[in-house]
Amino acid sequence: MTVESVPQAGRPGHAGEAGWQRVHPLTPAIRSWQALAVVGFFLARDLGEGWLGGDRSSPSVPVPGREVGLRVWLAGGGLIVLVLLAVLAFMALSWRMTRYRITADTLELRRGVLFRQHRLAQLDRLQAVDVSQPFLARLFGLARLTVEVAGAGASSIELAFLTETVAQDLRNRLLAGAAGLEFSGEVAPEAPEHYWLEVPLPRLVASILLSGSTAMLLVTSLGLVAVMVASGSLAAAAGIVPTALGIGGVLWSRFTRGFGFRVATSPDGLRLRHGLLETRTQTVPPGRVQAVRLSQPLLWRRLDWWQVEVNVAGYGTRRSDSSGSSETTLLPVGTRADALAVTAFVAPDLGVGAGEHPRVVVDAGLDDVGPGHGFVASPPAARWFDWISWRRNGFRVTRTVLLIRSGMMVRRLVMVPHARTQSLAVQQGPLQRRLGLASFALHSTPGPISPVAAHLDVAVAAELLEAQAERSRQARAAAGPERWMRGVGTARPDDSELRPSPPPGH
Amino acid sequence: MAVGPLSPEPEQSTGPRRPTDPFDAPAVVWRPISAKLATARRIVTGVMAAVLALLLLVPVLVTDLTWPAWGFLLLAGAYGWAWWLIGRQVSAWAYAERSEELLVRSGRLWRRIVVVPYGRLQYVDVEAGPLARAFGIASVQLHTASAGTDSRIPGLESTEAATLRDRLTERGQAQLAGL
Repeated sequence: MTVESVPQAGRPGHAGEAGWQRVHPLTPAIRSWQALAVVGFFLARDLGEGWLGGDRSSPSVPVPGREVGLRVWLAGGGLIVLVLLAVLAFMALSWRMTRYRITADTLELRRGVLFRQHRLAQLDRLQAVDVSQPFLARLFGLARLTVEVAGAGASSIELAFLTETVAQDLRNRLLAGAAGLEFSGEVAPEAPEHYWLEVPLPRLVASILLSGSTAMLLVTSLGLVAVMVASGSLAAAAGIVPTALGIGGVLWSRFTRGFGFRVATSPDGLRLRHGLLETRTQTVPPGRVQAVRLSQPLLWRRLDWWQVEVNVAGYGTRRSDSSGSSETTLLPVGTRADALAVTAFVAPDLGVGAGEHPRVVVDAGLDDVGPGHGFVASPPAARWFDWISWRRNGFRVTRTVLLIRSGMMVRRLVMVPHARTQSLAVQQGPLQRRLGLASFALHSTPGPISPVAAHLDVAVAAELLEAQAERSRQARAAAGPERWMRGVGTARPDDSELRPSPPPGH
Repeated sequence: MAVGPLSPEPEQSTGPRRPTDPFDAPAVVWRPISAKLATARRIVTGVMAAVLALLLLVPVLVTDLTWPAWGFLLLAGAYGWAWWLIGRQVSAWAYAERSEELLVRSGRLWRRIVVVPYGRLQYVDVEAGPLARAFGIASVQLHTASAGTDSRIPGLESTEAATLRDRLTERGQAQLAGL
């Protein structure tokens, strides 16, 4: 590592000029550690050989004679050192040019040496704040702060790297600013956290072993072993390597991301902590969740485990691999009670009728088929499209939320608050038309969830479209302020109210 | 080439529309898009057909085979079908402005209606290519925070597109809601 060659000027927090601050000086080293490690390795090797007098032949530089060899070494070494110095100078410059500033309403970031960028985000538009620590940064006690605002493309603002305490203090200030919370003094108060659930390691491992990917890995392995036995040659073994690597990678990343998953609530929103090598702490403020989905793969059914995912504006547009984006998972695996508790926090008011218990309605959405508990199911004609799951496909409208139920093998329940509806659509293909069916779609911000109630009766779809437009109209009019603490004063809402009380006798 | 079904479905049986038809909201005025769009699209398709015809001409002139000549008939038939299809597609496209939402419907075989609240407006796109400009038409699209919102209205008269854009932005500001 070339840590010591990074200029030490300007400690973070003291960059002069009206509130502008710099990121930690170790940032360039950590950002480019792979390149530095490679360069360092070759440099050390070459120099080492050079000091030894060049009597050991190196594969890269032929040594015809001692005299010539030394000259080549000096020239080559000098060039490498020169290039390295230039790179370091550029890194130092780029570090100097990266500055950020927080005011009561905005977060600003300036960066770039040749192409300058000045990005300004309104705090009341903030969607989520993440503090993440890649493994190397963690060793140095550094962290990266990512602020999500809802925008197309790469709209997030990333402050990397900061010391852990600075990152946490900034997060508190940003959340306080976003919430419209008035506070006195330099340091924003950290919202009190209440831990209330954790994913135990055995359950995480079991959930990964019981996933479709594992089953696929097993089936391919068995198939290849069968081929090997039948053909009597080991040639087929080569086929297993890429498959195993691919699926194994997916499983491993699921494990590292779900490792130590803890959920806490605070007045600033839901706080998630997870990660094995790279740790991440996410804060999703109230009302920022656009849609929630509970899902259960077939193999989890016996254990009644569920996964909870969300759409949050800003998260969705980031890269996501085949195993799903890590940011949009609220709970990688949990019991039904866990999943419902997490859901209840992000969608506190289910708005069911007076005589009903929310838990009963959600349970119907998770387990039931056909009509019942206010669910409107697909008509029998839908079996032409969905052989198996047509009986389960359906929706239920409450005062505040639209619940969409689907999937017989992998059970799913999607909830979208009326106040978070972006736009609506009804679609109908020729076959659907003949059968008197139509599909209803609700457009949410980009993310893992695209809510669709497939193959409804056409009259039901028409009514739903009309009624849902009206409901989202009313919900928009009644929507609370973007700054959730404004008007509340200093009193933080008590999150215990938001948690569902279990039904009697449960 | 117009994207369309392989075989057009028969016209829907006449009779009063059901009040529960999702593709016709009650008490709104549907405005059709300009028929110029059909002409423009027919020209584009025609140019493509002409290029294909030229390619087909080569074997007819160079060799003394007779069967490539049938290709012209086939091409003519396909172009006639596309002509008819474009007409139907363009006539199916319509939009309506309600007090708080924009409604856009399109398609005949694959029908679709989109309801976009003005309060969700993030930005409005008005686009016109060279051919569209020659015809004096433009397309208007309302974007929300969702990528799924496909509310494109092609083929509006340029003046109509401009006034619609202004109305949409005005209402968007008046009814602005957060995410």
